[in-house]
Amino acid sequence: MYPNPLTTTQAVDPVFKFILGVCIVLLVGITLTMIAFVIRYHRSRSPEPTSQASGNVWLETVWIAFPTVLVLAMFWFGWEGYLSLRNVPKNALKVTATARQWSWSFTYDNGKTSSKLYVPVGKPVLVNLVSLDVLHGFYLPAFRVKHDVVPNMKNHVWFVAEKSGSYDLFCSVYCGTGHSGMITSVEAVPPAQFETWLNQRGGAEHAGKELLEKHGCLGCHTLDGTPKVGPTLKDIWGRSVTVLTNGKERTITVDDRYLRRSILEPKADLVKGYPPVMPSFKGQITDDDIKTIINFLHAGGEAAPKPDGAKLAREKGCLACHSLDGSSGVGPTFKGLYQKRLTVLQNGIRMTITADDTYLRESILKPKAKIVEGFQPVMPDFSDLKTDEVQALVEFIEGVK
Amino acid sequence: MTSAAQFSPATSSFWNDTGKSGITSWVFSTDHKRIGLLYLYSVLTFFLIAVSLGALLRIELMAPGRTIMGPQTYNAVFTVHGVLMIFLFIIPGFPGAFGNLIMPIQIGARDVAFPRLNLFSWWLYIAGAAIIVTSLFTGGGPPDTGWTFYVPFSERTGTNVSLAVFGVFIVGFSSILTGVNFVTTIHRLRAEGMRWGRLPLFVWSVYATAWVQILATPILGITLVLILAERVLGTGLFDPTKGGDPLMYQHLFWIYSHPAVYIMILPGMGVISDIIPVFARKPIFGYKMIAFSSLAIAGAGSLVWGHHMFTSGMSDNAVLIFSFLTFVVAIPSAIKVFNWVSTLYRGSISLEAPMLFALSFILLFSIGGLAGLILGAAATDIHVHDTQFVVGHFHYVIFGGAGFAFFGAMHYWLPKFYGRRYHERTAVIAWALLFVGFNITYFSMMVLGMEGMPRRYYDYLPEFAPLNLVSTIGSWIMISGLILMMVNLFRGLFRGEAIGQNPWGGATLEWSVPTPPPTENFIEEPVVTHGPYDFKGAGIP
Repeated sequence: MYPNPLTTTQAVDPVFKFILGVCIVLLVGITLTMIAFVIRYHRSRSPEPTSQASGNVWLETVWIAFPTVLVLAMFWFGWEGYLSLRNVPKNALKVTATARQWSWSFTYDNGKTSSKLYVPVGKPVLVNLVSLDVLHGFYLPAFRVKHDVVPNMKNHVWFVAEKSGSYDLFCSVYCGTGHSGMITSVEAVPPAQFETWLNQRGGAEHAGKELLEKHGCLGCHTLDGTPKVGPTLKDIWGRSVTVLTNGKERTITVDDRYLRRSILEPKADLVKGYPPVMPSFKGQITDDDIKTIINFLHAGGEAAPKPDGAKLAREKGCLACHSLDGSSGVGPTFKGLYQKRLTVLQNGIRMTITADDTYLRESILKPKAKIVEGFQPVMPDFSDLKTDEVQALVEFIEGVK
Repeated sequence: MTSAAQFSPATSSFWNDTGKSGITSWVFSTDHKRIGLLYLYSVLTFFLIAVSLGALLRIELMAPGRTIMGPQTYNAVFTVHGVLMIFLFIIPGFPGAFGNLIMPIQIGARDVAFPRLNLFSWWLYIAGAAIIVTSLFTGGGPPDTGWTFYVPFSERTGTNVSLAVFGVFIVGFSSILTGVNFVTTIHRLRAEGMRWGRLPLFVWSVYATAWVQILATPILGITLVLILAERVLGTGLFDPTKGGDPLMYQHLFWIYSHPAVYIMILPGMGVISDIIPVFARKPIFGYKMIAFSSLAIAGAGSLVWGHHMFTSGMSDNAVLIFSFLTFVVAIPSAIKVFNWVSTLYRGSISLEAPMLFALSFILLFSIGGLAGLILGAAATDIHVHDTQFVVGHFHYVIFGGAGFAFFGAMHYWLPKFYGRRYHERTAVIAWALLFVGFNITYFSMMVLGMEGMPRRYYDYLPEFAPLNLVSTIGSWIMISGLILMMVNLFRGLFRGEAIGQNPWGGATLEWSVPTPPPTENFIEEPVVTHGPYDFKGAGIP
């Protein structure tokens, strides 16, 4: 019904020009009329009023009708342009933008994450918006798109970059101390280059892990030991578990046979304490793939690569407030922080401590426990990080000399 | 100025005719004029503090990076600037100060309908203001949420949001009671012959405003109590992690706060409608249309709050309806502008200070209003929403509109109550500085917004630096004009040239009583025989 124009910019800019043009004509008209009247009928030229007219039905009808038509036209053009912003092209590339105080992170369909939004030139991009804490706003001035990022609400925007280049991405809804620093960019690159970037991997990953991602297993089963909707897959092989078989409890040891059966008939032996919600993968997964996954699980989580501290610092937004070059930001710089003597406030009491492993770990998990003097207690706690991620971050900070 | 030469200020007036003196004769007075002046002094105090904070914000934004304060301080300063300007200056300012001073005399009444309730309203205002000021120096320090108190941030910040919203809640009651008082007064206490069709347009605007105060303010009260409940009891109404809805807060907040914009601007339109005929010596053009459009703005303006939420995630149907209604409200505003300009046609125009403020009101309000059309259209709003464009637009409407009307009212009416007036040429220079500085400051902001600079930004990218510097320099010109205006105005009111009963040649009732007016306003009960802008009928040459 409403054909999409080529880009969001093309949807908004004609409306902008129309309304702005009408506004300027009206403003100039009103101002010039006013100035002309003030000069012509100034008391020095017109010592007495030459009219006592207090109204004119014909004139007043005209200037009710005239703005009515104008504003209804503006309303309609504005609405049509808005619909174009809302109608996402079918072939759009999907990306999820995750906002938190005070950083952005972008996740692609293949699981790749990035702190900048890489997009292919000429292809529409659909961005799903997720907030982990308070309200944020996803704003791309160059593409005229903006949408609030609301916790627990599914919002989206779409845009298409016509030329390669780097475009500003701002947070538009006030979100606290670091609001004006919550800036990243859209990097529009030629499609071939984008494909290469998208499929580049941080390190050689086990084919089994990629299969788990591909089939969505990791949505419910983690590789790091934390239970989610289903039990974790870490060290699962050889583990002794209590399962329900036809309503009866029994204890078994996880082996190849059990794993294969759980994929194909998940409800046959259900691990106690978990809901029977897993769909059967019978007919959806090849025998070879099952073998690859089981081989991966034999290794029991060791195959999960060690987290990269530098990458985490970027993605979790640490670097939005803590610099690497010694300059002071919302928080203290990481440069030379390790083993530095610091004056901190603990429950309002001043004390001097050394920034050692323990202190750095505590500062990530419970940042408000000890605040470095001269800084605001505004850092959100990162207690949702996993133990090995915290360790990787600490090691990364120690390395910034 | 016609009768100044042969007149000396009345020896007996509301300043001394009750025989009481001292501070208690003011803070416990039930005289609408004394209460009006109490409001005037209180709101101007908060206005000047908030202006200083605004100046600090502009200095911080003069260049990228840290200039004079850190990000947390900046966030607190812009929040307090907004809270003081909105809740303690411009909302209570017009009804409290000029509504009280002028409206009862203009309808031929001795006082408002409920004089003691009127005094209580002022005390509630002072109590609420005291609580807000206390919140800046206690607990976790001044709030850093912005004057909108958006959730879930306002629930989680450690700053003193709870006490501040409680203060605003108390001030809200003051506003409701003033509204009730004024509606009753205008219905019941009009003098003989003061038909609805003879009400001065300022009274019409105060009447429309009072209804908005009565109907919309309770919703703000409830909303603020709910924030308190969220923070203190953790009720989870707005907190998404507890099943609440942040958008519901935004709806509740704007159901009040959009109509509140009309509480700010409608009385200003009324002032302009009273000043222009007097200085053009012509009846206002289209009296009925202007009076009716005030009511139309108050009514339709209560249904457009959703245009603050086009990007919030609200449904597309809601965007359609709110965008449509927003454009409907533009029509009565346009009618007023055309009527004001037509009043000048074939008049005899004198460009004294009140008239300069009135004419610049028309221009600045038009710029602000036309910028509002860009914000009202769904497609264009998406780009400029939450940017400096909104900051510029808002200041054009509320400072260039309501603020300039307030200054115009001060120059037009205050001499009547003090019996003395300011120096005219100095007032014109102050106006010129204000007008030029104002446009430099806020027009730059609108351009910055169209270029994409978001609002509430402590720091910005280098591409925004030149215009931010221009805007800051503009603010210095504006503030020098403001200081000159205040000094000239108050110096003149206490020590200036004495004025007569009707210095401007106005036909409304306040110019028919002695200067300054006696406590009961009228020496004899007035009988109204002519319209408010019928200069011939009032016997004015």
